[in-house]
Amino acid sequence: MSTLSVLFDASHVLASQRWDEFLQQTINGLTLGSVYALIALGYSMVYGVLKLLNFAHGDVYMVGAFIGFGMIQWLGFRGAGDTWAPVVSTWFVLLVVLAVSMAGTAGLGVAIERFAYRPLRDAPRIAPLISALGVSFFIAYSMQLMFGSQQRDYNAFGIDNGKLFLDGVDIGNVRVPLLRIIIIVSAFVLMLLLWLLVTRTRTGKAMRATSFDREAAAMMGIDIDRVIVFTFVLGSALAGPAGVMFALRAPASVTMGFVAGLKGFTAAVIGGIGSIPGAMGGGLILGMAEAYTQGYISSKWSDLFVFVILIGFMLFRPQGLFGKADIRKV
Amino acid sequence: MAREALLELRGVSMAFGGLNVVDRLDLHVDEGEIVSVIGPNGAGKTTLFNLITGVYEPIDGDIVFAGESIAGLEPHKITQKGIARTFQTLRLFLNMTVRENVMAAAYGHTKAGAFRSMLRTPGQRREEREIRALAEERLAFFGERLMGYRWDQPAYSLSYANRRRLEIARATATKPRLLLLDEPAAGMNPRETQEIAELIGKLRTDGGYTILVIEHDMHVVEGISDRVVALDHGVKIAEGTFDAVATDPRVVEAYLGTGGMARK
Amino acid sequence: MSDDRLDPYDSGSLSAPLPGAAEAAAAEGATSPAVGRDEWVARHGANLAGRGGIVGTIQARLASVPWWAWLAVLVAIVALIPVGFESGYVRRVAFDTLIYMLLALGLNVVVGWGGLLDLGYIAFYGIGAYAYAMLSSSHFDVHLPSLVSIPLIVALGAVVGLLIGLPSWRLSGDYLAIVTLFFFQLFITITTNGDDVFGIDLTGGSNGISGVAASVDPLSFFGWELPQLTDAGAFNVAYIYVALVVFVIVFVALRFVNLSRTGRAWRSLREDPLAAEMMGMPINWLKLMAFSFGAAVAALTGTIFASLNAGVFPNTFQFPLLITVYAMVILGGAGSMGGVVLGAIIVNVLLEVLREPGDARYVFYVVVLAGLVAVLRFSVRLVVVLGGTILLGFAVHVITSVVSDRAVAGSPAGGGFLTGAVDRWVVLPDSLGAWAPISYVALVAAVLLLTTISGWWRIAALVPTLYLGAFVWENVMLAKPEPTRYILLGAILVTLMVARPAGILGERRVEIV
Repeated sequence: MSTLSVLFDASHVLASQRWDEFLQQTINGLTLGSVYALIALGYSMVYGVLKLLNFAHGDVYMVGAFIGFGMIQWLGFRGAGDTWAPVVSTWFVLLVVLAVSMAGTAGLGVAIERFAYRPLRDAPRIAPLISALGVSFFIAYSMQLMFGSQQRDYNAFGIDNGKLFLDGVDIGNVRVPLLRIIIIVSAFVLMLLLWLLVTRTRTGKAMRATSFDREAAAMMGIDIDRVIVFTFVLGSALAGPAGVMFALRAPASVTMGFVAGLKGFTAAVIGGIGSIPGAMGGGLILGMAEAYTQGYISSKWSDLFVFVILIGFMLFRPQGLFGKADIRKV
Repeated sequence: MAREALLELRGVSMAFGGLNVVDRLDLHVDEGEIVSVIGPNGAGKTTLFNLITGVYEPIDGDIVFAGESIAGLEPHKITQKGIARTFQTLRLFLNMTVRENVMAAAYGHTKAGAFRSMLRTPGQRREEREIRALAEERLAFFGERLMGYRWDQPAYSLSYANRRRLEIARATATKPRLLLLDEPAAGMNPRETQEIAELIGKLRTDGGYTILVIEHDMHVVEGISDRVVALDHGVKIAEGTFDAVATDPRVVEAYLGTGGMARK
Repeated sequence: MSDDRLDPYDSGSLSAPLPGAAEAAAAEGATSPAVGRDEWVARHGANLAGRGGIVGTIQARLASVPWWAWLAVLVAIVALIPVGFESGYVRRVAFDTLIYMLLALGLNVVVGWGGLLDLGYIAFYGIGAYAYAMLSSSHFDVHLPSLVSIPLIVALGAVVGLLIGLPSWRLSGDYLAIVTLFFFQLFITITTNGDDVFGIDLTGGSNGISGVAASVDPLSFFGWELPQLTDAGAFNVAYIYVALVVFVIVFVALRFVNLSRTGRAWRSLREDPLAAEMMGMPINWLKLMAFSFGAAVAALTGTIFASLNAGVFPNTFQFPLLITVYAMVILGGAGSMGGVVLGAIIVNVLLEVLREPGDARYVFYVVVLAGLVAVLRFSVRLVVVLGGTILLGFAVHVITSVVSDRAVAGSPAGGGFLTGAVDRWVVLPDSLGAWAPISYVALVAAVLLLTTISGWWRIAALVPTLYLGAFVWENVMLAKPEPTRYILLGAILVTLMVARPAGILGERRVEIV
């Protein structure tokens, strides 16, 4: 009898361990997915309006991370020996960091559109894509020129004596650190704001009209340039906080934009490129998929897994989960 | 003596989203005929051509060419089976020379692959000569217009009327049995229009092509057609000789609205 | 194949009607105003011919030289390099340039002829190199002779190209871009982490496959080996000749394909894909073929590279190399074989020169000067700009040296005869600190601003911008050649696309609506 009860207890423990593991990975996935979703939104919106894959978006995200780094150093770590001694409260500092990075990346996005994409609006499709490649490179290596290639650590643990990691919420046996909660919640708030802006404002409606048929929208009196700038502002503004959120958990380097960009793409494609709910959903799904593969299989090969998912979608459902099938017209 | 039609559309329908652009259309073209398709704008005429050539796949019905169903085939396969077309808005290869435009269209019935081309085998070189000769022959069909020095001119240097002719020449280089001409006389002055009408007749008699024409200019339609089909909103509203169709009240109404007069 | 009835370069032809025009006019009938039409043709021919006068004549003569003559000249020049230059460095650069020329030719097929954006192109290059390193080395102890492994690898490249291109069949080019990008990333992951695939060391991981762990065979032909190094340890020039032979073969083969029905189909596909399909050309298959061809050429190039390099490392096959080859193709002119070869030479030489600060300095000033001359021609404005910039420079230098010693205490990097002048003209602080990023960003902003203004405002703004440019170049960029080279490549790509997408020799396309 006792063997059975031991076995029973053991299986209970194992089951709850499995559950905890699963929960942990799910939280990981949500955190990761939030960042991916924010990046994917930028890609999706710009693609919807311009039919352009903005390769430089990943690098805008990277710049956001660096802006955030600078701001946190300047506003937060002002004490002797770089300790945390913020000008005002920690929460306020974080908010300012987020806001400034948003403003910075939005500005960068607008500049990129104005100088690298707008002149090519009527050129064959491949031209702005190549220009985007050039911009991506230009930005990444400009950052390297200015700030060197070594990684920048936000020293998130140093923020307010580790509060972001020590505080948190418990779900069963799993502790969710405050940092993750902040990331997930802020991402959702931003996405909600975006959703409202796109569905409730006139410019948002204009944006959707333009993405459906640019010429017709222009003929209806919509100022295409303004709509496109608006789209870039929104999309790039989201990339900034995404960079900050990522860098709070892992060091930032000038090359982080490339891989993040890839993942952002993939998320946008999975969700249906051009679709805003698609980008959000795709980002979360991708984040979960990556977390589960890293947790349960191996972190080295999670990229391969993601690639397989991508190919699968392209072969069987190129319009993604939420996209509409393309109607060919002569 | 019931010949099987060269091209037959049986109950073909096509819709975009919820909008029916072609509705259960029955149409046939017999070998050697010249059939004109008329109708007001939006009647579905170009959509009809797109359906026949495979740009769209019908949501209902079948398209049969020379006894074989071609609905759902890829456009280049359909062309290789013997259907060629011109476009309402010209679609030439503008930066290529006149001769090259026509030579390019010979792709479907030639077979020298990339490997043989790399090695310049005698077979490939012979085929190139044949393609070149074919192109020059097709261009010669138009008299002096597209001859001689014109062969090496880029297509963008041609006048509008010559571009239309080039497009027809290019289409014939695919060695089709059926030619679909989409508004061949659009934008032409009366003299050029007359020439085009004669040319279409010549394409049938000398070239042996079966021709389906979309045309708005009623002079042309009257002059060339064995049969006329009138469409409106994707539905066939009349079919027969030119005189029968032109005076058909449904046709008149479609063009002029209720209370309209006969064409003359 | 010049038609000698048409000689638009004959200066008389601008006013005289074209031969054949009279006949055409007669054919068109008495009422047709043949004057209007054919005169346009005649004028157009002259317009296309370029500028009149001496430059025009030179351009014309150059244009009528047959392609194989150019190729022969290039071959002769390259063949003589090892003879003329003893330096191992120069010889190695020559070899590298040949590799780049091959890569550019291959990418031209995909981008220039197929119109596709292949962002994984370098992965095919890497596959070729790694495959060679696996099949002809002691890594797995498989020592296939080169004449067996190389064709095999070319075929492998073509097949992998087909497989990678397949998922985007019928989908837009954007999807292909994404798939190839991800494929590239995957390739990088596998090569970097491939030292432990279920316990097998597949790719040697970040150490690659090289003489350290496993020696890669040199090329061998019919049992006769071509050592990578001479007995004296120097670079074996035979490899230059091998690469040259391969280049010629690939060039000629691609040329023949381009002149054939496949090339015509690719051109039609570029002009108007829908019309091409309607004329019987299977456009999806043609695109896939172009993609696969490019991959095969890249794989072939990989084998040659791996054999000389005597090793393959994941570091080589990374994104910067992709951008470099793209810059070569776009600069030279996508679609033009001669153009991309020229682009490869220019870019590689430029990158080599940029390694050494002293040499890089020359390049900067020469290019800026050439740019100004090209845009402003020899005019008052040019004098104003140059004079103004020089004066401004000296003035600023004098003032800052008076204000602060440290601000001019630094010295120009590298050597060369310009350093003396630069030292007195450009403000060279001993340490820049935060001014480095600030000045750089200010320069970028200034250059972008220049594009938005015009007229004399632009001339005025050009002066401080040029000086700022010199400042940033001397103080910030020269010190760090690696990011600088990629910044320049990126800038080249964007500028070309916006200002001159046809590059140097690319087709100047006429698009009349």
